[in-house]
Amino acid sequence: MKNSYRISITTAAVVFAALLPAAVPGEAQLPRDPAERAKVIAQIFEANARQLTLFDRQGKVVSVIGPRDLYNQPVQSPDRKRVAVIKPDLDKETNDLWVLDVATGKGTQITFSQSRESASAPAWSPDGSQVAYVALRGGRFGLYRKASDGDGPEELLYQSPGAPMTLTDWSMDGRFLSYFSTDLSGGALYVLPLDAAGERKPIEVFKSPSQVQGPRFSADSRFISYVSNQSGRNEVYVRPFDPAASANAAPAAGPWQISDQGGQGMAFWRRDGKELYYLAADRGVMAVDVGTAPAFQFGKPKLLFRPPEAALTGVAPGTASISRDGARVVIAVHPPQLRQNTAFDRQEKVVSTAGQPGFYLQPGLSPDGKRVVVMRNDPQTANQDIWTIDLATGKGTPVTNDTPPENAPIWSPDGTQVAYVSTRGNYAGIYRKAWDGTGDEELLFRYTPGAGMVLTDWSPDGKFLTFYTGVLLVVPLRADEKPLDRKAMEWLREDYDVTQGRFSPDGRFLAFLSNEADADKPQVSVRPFDASKPEAPGPGPAVQVSKNGALGMIFWRQDGKEMYFLTRDWEVMAVDVTTTPTFQAGTPKLLFKLPGPLPGNPAQWKNVSPDGQRFIFAMPATGASVR
Amino acid sequence: MSLRIGAFIALAAILVAGSAWAHHNMSALFDFNDRVTLTGTLTKVDWRNPHIELVVDTKSGGDQVQTWSFEGPPPSFFRARDINKSDIESALGKTVTAEASRARDGSHSGLLRVMTLPDGKVVSACPQNC
Repeated sequence: MKNSYRISITTAAVVFAALLPAAVPGEAQLPRDPAERAKVIAQIFEANARQLTLFDRQGKVVSVIGPRDLYNQPVQSPDRKRVAVIKPDLDKETNDLWVLDVATGKGTQITFSQSRESASAPAWSPDGSQVAYVALRGGRFGLYRKASDGDGPEELLYQSPGAPMTLTDWSMDGRFLSYFSTDLSGGALYVLPLDAAGERKPIEVFKSPSQVQGPRFSADSRFISYVSNQSGRNEVYVRPFDPAASANAAPAAGPWQISDQGGQGMAFWRRDGKELYYLAADRGVMAVDVGTAPAFQFGKPKLLFRPPEAALTGVAPGTASISRDGARVVIAVHPPQLRQNTAFDRQEKVVSTAGQPGFYLQPGLSPDGKRVVVMRNDPQTANQDIWTIDLATGKGTPVTNDTPPENAPIWSPDGTQVAYVSTRGNYAGIYRKAWDGTGDEELLFRYTPGAGMVLTDWSPDGKFLTFYTGVLLVVPLRADEKPLDRKAMEWLREDYDVTQGRFSPDGRFLAFLSNEADADKPQVSVRPFDASKPEAPGPGPAVQVSKNGALGMIFWRQDGKEMYFLTRDWEVMAVDVTTTPTFQAGTPKLLFKLPGPLPGNPAQWKNVSPDGQRFIFAMPATGASVR
Repeated sequence: MSLRIGAFIALAAILVAGSAWAHHNMSALFDFNDRVTLTGTLTKVDWRNPHIELVVDTKSGGDQVQTWSFEGPPPSFFRARDINKSDIESALGKTVTAEASRARDGSHSGLLRVMTLPDGKVVSACPQNC
């Protein structure tokens, strides 16, 4: 489980699905001030709460289960009457296992984790009387099981000696659990025999330098399906399973690639062993005819249905599953994510919209205010690319059009190029490309292995990039330096968090967010930036610009006389400032308030026109259809 | 799993205060299946983002001193657990015990899981570094 977080962090901003993060113990700390904490929890809930929804094989909604909540990893019981699901308690910072009755929606809490502990990855016993899961207890990950009605204590089945793991199946003969552990060094599939005498010892089924995950047993437990990115993208495979085989032995046959157009996972076998299901790269729910007696055979994948387009980007192996009889698909459907890029004036009046609704994030205005750059998720391919949109015509142009996800787009100072972050292999890098997608992509900077970063600005003279990791870093773009030789300088590295650097128009100052004064309340501050000494702020203390906290969207007006930022109440604020001879800031004033949380990372937004008259946001486009 | 993947740092802006910045994909540098527990003298504390660093001098199997460097979560992680820089700095020059996942490059460094301070207080880096 945790490895998934770690992988995801290197691919920062890869995922479009979540509007705002569900709190994950240890990954994102909530404010400690009770009022602030309650506010943030409410916002997380509103943005992330999902509706458990049952679909039939044709994609028709059969029913919804209970009220919206922060559900994750729903798995149907063998008789389809209940759903095991993981639900966080944001205040306690725990995740626990619940079982919901499909007919009534009534939930029963099965696990009761201590603060900052968790349960995850449920799998039903064949008779539905128990649920197995991964739990973090006393600092150790283990496989546990408990009665599915919540009675009795939980039973430790196996404690991991180290690495976190994700449970995915309980074999239909009841003899095995299957789980995986994966990280950047590769992954491994494991099976835990449940009927062995004495201490249980897992069987390493398959180890790979590629990412491998999601092992599930065929009905006769002679084969295992799984997902691997060995070909460069995720596909579903099947290989024989022999509990007596040694870990490094070549498979007796196979492996066989089942998916033919990419497979995200969610590979479930039907109870009779004659059909296998998976989620395709484009989020279509696929079915494949299979046979396992005596040898493994499989047919061509066929589409059962594609989830409703408004919910598409939230459908993933961790948010959906298929019943043992193949008749029902349960999906934790997230709030609508279709967005319309919308320009407001200073009085909150809608001035224009840019293009058609789509799965957009983080619109940024070009230096001339005529174009928008956005992160765009393609529901057909699930690719996340960078696009530019002409404000006058609405015409969209892909800057990137490839499989690796790109994020954090920033315009070059002259508006001819766009810089963005993309993770390729173990490395996150900053790339640039012409705004109209022509020409080749150019690597500008590559960070240390496995490290994530959020790009926030390109200096007005084009000579520096800035990004953050909790530390604010500056990358000099010397022409005589090769990209791989460029080093990031820790401009401001402290025990408090520093994010979102933004250069002043004259390049003499950097504005940023920091929680130096109050850990729970980041503020916009400004310090001198000296291009001849970019390794640290210039002399003088930081000048605080905001008064009651800030969320991001720091922007300098082109004339350097006004700044903007967003508060944690989603208020758009303006502040009169001067930069000569020294930086001074006036009292922030409210321009307008947004209707509520918007997706994306406000600490990356650069969405104000150079003259400070236009503000563009990816607003909800409920009821619209994707183009 | 993918929803968890969705809980990534770039979308964590709403939690900017106290966000746990993950500088590295820890599994790229540290092997979570290779654990080490060492007792020695805490000689250095670097209490800064994106992760703290603690240096411990230990004698392993003889009189020769080995210097180990342990990387931990960011300061905000500890702040949320009522552990401050001064709590750790007060252990400087004293004996501590650290449990960590070892670096893949075989160096004397690790990803801190748990540290026991001289007064017996246990400082856990879980769940972040479990």
